[in-house]
Parts: sequence; structure tokens; C-alpha cells
Amino acid sequence: MSRGSGGYDRHITIFSPEGRLFQVEYAFKAVKAAGITSIGVRGKDSVCVVTQKKVPDKLLDQTSVTHLFPITKYLGLLATGMTADARTLVQQARNEAAEFRFKYGYEMPIDVLAKWIADKSQVYTQHAYMRPLGVVAMVLGIDDEFGPRLYKCDPAGHFFGHKATSAGLKEQEAINFLEKKMKNDPSFTYEETVQTAISALQSVLQEDFKANEIEVGVVRQESPVFRVLSTEEIDEHLTAISERD
Amino acid sequence: MGDSQYSFSLTTFSPSGKLVQIEHALTAVGSGQTSLGIKAANGVVIATEKKLPSILVDEASVRKIQLLTPNIGVVYSGMGPDFRVLVRKSRKQAEQYHRLYKEPIPVTQLVRETAAVMQEFTQSGGVRPFGVSLLVAGFDDKGPQLYQVDPSGSYFSWKASAMGKNVSNAKTFLEKRYTEDMELDDAVHTAILTLKEGFEGQISGKNIEIGIIGTDKKFRVLSPAEIDDYLGEVE
Repeated sequence: MSRGSGGYDRHITIFSPEGRLFQVEYAFKAVKAAGITSIGVRGKDSVCVVTQKKVPDKLLDQTSVTHLFPITKYLGLLATGMTADARTLVQQARNEAAEFRFKYGYEMPIDVLAKWIADKSQVYTQHAYMRPLGVVAMVLGIDDEFGPRLYKCDPAGHFFGHKATSAGLKEQEAINFLEKKMKNDPSFTYEETVQTAISALQSVLQEDFKANEIEVGVVRQESPVFRVLSTEEIDEHLTAISERD
Repeated sequence: MGDSQYSFSLTTFSPSGKLVQIEHALTAVGSGQTSLGIKAANGVVIATEKKLPSILVDEASVRKIQLLTPNIGVVYSGMGPDFRVLVRKSRKQAEQYHRLYKEPIPVTQLVRETAAVMQEFTQSGGVRPFGVSLLVAGFDDKGPQLYQVDPSGSYFSWKASAMGKNVSNAKTFLEKRYTEDMELDDAVHTAILTLKEGFEGQISGKNIEIGIIGTDKKFRVLSPAEIDDYLGEVE
């Protein structure tokens, strides 16, 4: 039986004979190829995301290397994967959130943002003229009704709410680690949330970080703005973790 | 739709006269999680497995059964993101019908329009077919109705149907158990038993979803607690 797709199923997003979309699967591989691992954890009244900060060249301005982006004052996005794709996604998301606020008179809720990102990704999996983005986006925020929320959107257009999750190179190892920690549905305080996220990253990558080697972003119910932690704050948490162990 | 560079259809005839992209889309549906629907004498029930990739996923954030109008619900097997697109388009079509005719859209019309959208994507330039099959359950003036829509855009009315991984066992089971004068409650029990047949692991209110519509013409998704009650009755 000849291969009916003419061999194009690997180049554009049409179905393979097994019913798979190779371009989408390759997009997932591109996310891993960036070599970064990210972790997100949702606590009782806060959400924390952590990612590696790899500055490949000492001459680079460190402050310009970031994967954490505020979308609005209240919503943050952690992009794992291809940086250029991440920036374009962030730009569009910021525009969409601003228009939402203008049109409807209230802040874009986090699940609406996550759904919008996921729906946009779905369009790229169905239309041949644009490839899927090589980015997994973790969005975090405090929802008015449901409290702290963490969503993960991937190149296939899937999105789920998560109690904790991971993306990037060591995604599966991190998820295994987090599943053990969250098995009994714990209710983490802010400090526990941040420390679980950081120690998960340290354990999975098997290295102890310095404050300038990781980026940490948080939202807390008591002050629901998205904030990137400073190196001093990260240091405090790192010290607390090493004293605890 | 699509860029002018891709103003040719990606779904073209093979020498044997088949549209292979549609067949591949059906394969994608066949590897999706099992879902099924049963039309009773006084209502319709649709149900699906809800197997999540990890215990870390927030189960309440996932809704596989969706409302298209207050009296029409839909479930799918196949690719979740494609399903969301179809739900959005169908809801808009239902609203446009209502705006024009000041009447709720009949089930057959909504199914026909949704199927037309799915067919468009098998013929338009630069796009691939949807990787989902839908089960649409509704109750209007013509009574309870259940329709299945395939990626090709063809649709049929069913007394009971199943789709996804376990389709052949599920359909055999349904053929044995279906009776014309079934009541809605019996149909829910039968739906649960059918899902249980091919279910890997422990079935509970958290890893299946059930939607029902009765003579009150209000489609609703059962809560995990209600599903657990039905599961208890079935044991």
C-alpha cells in the first residue's frame, strides 16, 4: 500500500497514515531542544513558577535574558522553548488582554487567556501556511472566583489547569517528582510553594543553584500582581531550602 | 481561508478514489478516548472517559462535554483542540439562527451546519480535516435526538452509538442492551456499564463525564457526586 500523503505529512500539519500530526510532535521536540526546564506549583493562596536562566555568553546583558513575561499587571507567562516564538506569543497575548480590558471593562481572567493561547496554537495545527510555535506557555494568576490558578498551554493546542506541572528538557522527571509531592493534595503556604518549585528543579537537574541562575515568578492572593522575585528574595528561599535539608 | 500560497486543497483523491486525509483523520478519532451516546424514550445521555495525563492536572478545569444551546449538548472522541474550535463555531451558528428567527435552533439544523463546517475543511485550501467525531444530543419539538458527525462532514441519527478506542466492543454491548422503550435513568446505567467494559483502572465520578437531557429540555452535565451515585446503583 503506497504512502498516500505524498511525504508531506512531515512538512506541514496534515495527518499521517496513523492519524498523527508530525509537525506538532516536532514542535514538542523543539521545546525540549532549548535545553531549559521549567516548573510551576500552585499553593493554597499563591502560584509560583521557576525556570533556569542560562546566559550562554558572558558578554550578554543578563537582564535582557528572560523567559518570564508579565501579560497584564495580574497575569504572568512563563515561556519554555524557542525564545523568538515566545516573544511573538507574549506580544499577541498582551495585545489581546489589553483589548479585553478595553472592550469588556474588567481584567481578562486567567482561564480566558489560557484558552485564547491554546486556540491560537490549534489554528497553527490545522492551517498549512503557519507552523506550530515551539513554545509551551505556563500562565499564572489569581482568579476572582477560583483563587490561585496555573495553566499550561502546548503547541498542540491543549490546555489544562494544573496543581503543579513542568515543561522543557526534564519535563517527565520533574512531573514524577511533583506527583510524589502532591499525591495527598497538600495545601502549600507561599513559602512552601516557592520552595517546592525551586527544590523540584534542583533535584531534577541535580545541581544546587545560585540566585542568578534561576528566574522565579509569583502571584499571591494577598497582592494579586504578577511579580518576578529579585536575586535577594531568591537567595532567601535558597538558604531556607538548604537549611531545611 | 488560508494563505493564497496554499490555495489548493490538501485533501485530494488517491488513485483508488479515496480521500486519504479523511481516513487518517478517522484513525486519529479511533485512537481517542471512548465516548458514547444513547437515545432513550424520554431523553438522551452522552458520556465519555476522562483520562487525564497526570494526577497533577486539575480535573475540574477539564470539560469534555459542552453545551451548544440550552437544549443541545455535544461530546467528542479525538483531538481536544479541534473540538473547541467546532464548539465555538456551532455556538455562533446557533446564536445567529436565534437572532434571525427568534426561535431556538432545531437539532437537525445545528448538526447540518456543524457538519458543513467540517466538510469545508476537507475541501478548502491549506487546511486539514478536523480530527474529531462528535456526538450531538438534543431535545426539541421533534423529541430526543442523537447525531454522530464524522471528520468527513457526514452525519447520521443514531439510537445508540460509540466512538474512539473501544468502539467495536462498546457498540456490540450497546446492540445487546438497547431497547426502544428505555427510560433516561436506564440509559444512564447502560452508558456507565458500557464505559466500564473497556475501562482501564478504577472507574469513578472523576474519570468519566456524563451529560443528560430529559423532557425538561435542559442539557446538563452531571456532577462527580451524581455520577458516583449512579455508579453505586450499578454495582
